[in-house]
Amino acid sequence: MNVSQNYVNKIIEKISTWARVNSPWAIHFNSGSCNGCDIEILATLTPRYDVERFGIKLHGSPRHADVLICTGPVTRQARERLLRTYEQMPEPKFVVAVGSCGISGGVFQGCYNIVGHIDEVLPVDAFIPGCPPRPEAIIDGIVKLLGHIQNGTRPEIMLTTGVQEAV
Amino acid sequence: MTTEIHLQRAGELLAPFAKGTNNPEVNRLDVKIAASDLPAAASALTDASWGYLAAITGMDHGLDVNELEALYHFCEGAAVTTLRVSLPREGCPEIPSVSAQIPVASFFERELSEMLGVTVVNTPDPSRLFLPDDWPVDVYPLRQDFKQEQAASVQPDPTPEPGRVGNKFIVPIGPQHPALKEPGHFEFTVDGEIITGARMRLGYVHRGIEKATEQRNWIQNLYLLERICGICSHTHTSAYSQGVEKLAQVEVPPRALAIRELVAGLERIHSHLLWLGVVSHEAGFDTLFMYSWRDRETVMNLLEELTGNRVNYSICALGGVKHDIGTEQSATIHKALDYLEERIRYYLDVVTSDTTFLQRTRGVGTMTRDEAIHFGALGPTARACGVNRDVRLDAPYGAYKRFPVSIITDERGDLEARFVVRMKELLVSCFTIRTIVDNMPTGEIITKFPRKVPAGETVSRVEAPRGEAFYYIKSGGGESPTRLHIRTPSLCNWTSVINKAVGHQLADAPMLIAGMDPCFSCNDRMVTVRRQADTKTLSWFELREYGIKKYGQRK
Repeated sequence: MNVSQNYVNKIIEKISTWARVNSPWAIHFNSGSCNGCDIEILATLTPRYDVERFGIKLHGSPRHADVLICTGPVTRQARERLLRTYEQMPEPKFVVAVGSCGISGGVFQGCYNIVGHIDEVLPVDAFIPGCPPRPEAIIDGIVKLLGHIQNGTRPEIMLTTGVQEAV
Repeated sequence: MTTEIHLQRAGELLAPFAKGTNNPEVNRLDVKIAASDLPAAASALTDASWGYLAAITGMDHGLDVNELEALYHFCEGAAVTTLRVSLPREGCPEIPSVSAQIPVASFFERELSEMLGVTVVNTPDPSRLFLPDDWPVDVYPLRQDFKQEQAASVQPDPTPEPGRVGNKFIVPIGPQHPALKEPGHFEFTVDGEIITGARMRLGYVHRGIEKATEQRNWIQNLYLLERICGICSHTHTSAYSQGVEKLAQVEVPPRALAIRELVAGLERIHSHLLWLGVVSHEAGFDTLFMYSWRDRETVMNLLEELTGNRVNYSICALGGVKHDIGTEQSATIHKALDYLEERIRYYLDVVTSDTTFLQRTRGVGTMTRDEAIHFGALGPTARACGVNRDVRLDAPYGAYKRFPVSIITDERGDLEARFVVRMKELLVSCFTIRTIVDNMPTGEIITKFPRKVPAGETVSRVEAPRGEAFYYIKSGGGESPTRLHIRTPSLCNWTSVINKAVGHQLADAPMLIAGMDPCFSCNDRMVTVRRQADTKTLSWFELREYGIKKYGQRK
């Protein structure tokens, strides 16, 4: 009984990983970005780059999403909403920080309304550098993340004080 | 010549209130007035149809002078009249509201009061616009003695959960949207399907750039201001460099100005095509979204070839531009424009002849010319209502005197007219770019720029793809500005959109806001039932129980 149950679980796990890797749904959240990264993310959906050939679809609701694509530094007003969006996503969830501001705060470091970079608020799985990164770079980053999901390895998560608060 | 007539007339209109006048630049008139005279002075200008309120700049002159100052900038053609109101720094400085005469002032007044701690008496909405909910009371970031430590997070006032009020229902939209790139929060009060009221809250992307410019030097600010907006980054750098060059009295070579105008033209094409895609996506016309974004890549290629970057071009430098344009690049530009012009004509045909699409645009959100002027609309939104307001023509800056553009207006004022105006503007841009490429002035592309900028203040206006961008720059003679105020066109256009949304169906809201898709699916599984006084929060499970009980009783 136990053996067959395990076997079934394994099969289900395999199928769900297969489905997740072949069709990851992403949600995009702008937490204080200048729009530069956002238009490049949108450009990846359009015919020139066509990210749908990897099964990636930008979706409106966090409840259906696997990947949270964040852009921009985190402003004080957006912090709460970013956390709320993250918490609504079902497990397992992955976070991608796009652009210099998402990685370090970029040019906005030290501004009075900035909490910091995305890693200070959420555990980030992949960083895509650039100001803004080219659409090719964004696709490359997400495809690398998909490789990790397939192998069952999670990119190393950096723990900061903000993360413990968030989780 | 007309500028002088305009200024003279403004001087006459304001003469009864003037405590002192000054002409800091040929196209500017500063009039000092008392705070109590402000509404009357604003009425005098608006009643005589003298220009429009472009911005309200708040300034703190520091502890030594112990004075705050509010500058009300009115623009008519190239003329700028500034009403200067001096306020005490201590106690609670008060200034009367001018929102009754000028609706757009409401946003500016909210900004003034939260940034500098000026109480605006009788302003229609005194709530916060940009600062976060957890910002402490009585801490004002644009005051000179502001310290980051003062802005520690405080427990915000509990905001009432939107829900049912009487027969009406408040539908919250945002800040996270399925389609829109920028977060903003809207609350639409609906009666059935019809919108009866609208409110908005900004500040999700407020980063405090104006304060940050005071801590960076003139060159660093160029890179900071480029990142105000990734879509019209060139607008901000060109407005800033133009203002700073005016202050430093640096003559920019004509070739550099021509290259700036060329990049601005390409930016307009990229921005309008992007807009066309996003709005058609809101209308459910995804084919047009994909088509226009595919063709937009042609412009992106051009921009990348000319400047090295796709989005933040970084071509402006203080005193000129960074990259020159060679002869082989002119050939590439002509070839790309051939393709684009053909596509734009096709889009113009689509947006005026596709029956399904026209049902979403024709006669929707119609605004008359007078309403557009009253609400202070700018850019293509105003031009689609027949208001011929365009800084490139009214106050030609840079190379626009040498390579003028023609203005496109439409009298209908509905959504369709906005499509038509924007598409025709693209054809004008293509034509201007071709003229510039063929008649490029020769010479240097950059001149030497000093590290320190002489003390003074100036106003710089640039026509962004969305309307007029207004910069007020003040230098204290040092390596960084003492005050830099930016008013972007969208802030002015919100007033008209919000006011015109009333009376429309909720389904038209995304099209009206042009690129804002409501996200109902992620409304929380929590419902607030609001009766007269008591408010009760129910979980989904409790609500279900409540429903079963209520309907059970009816049997």
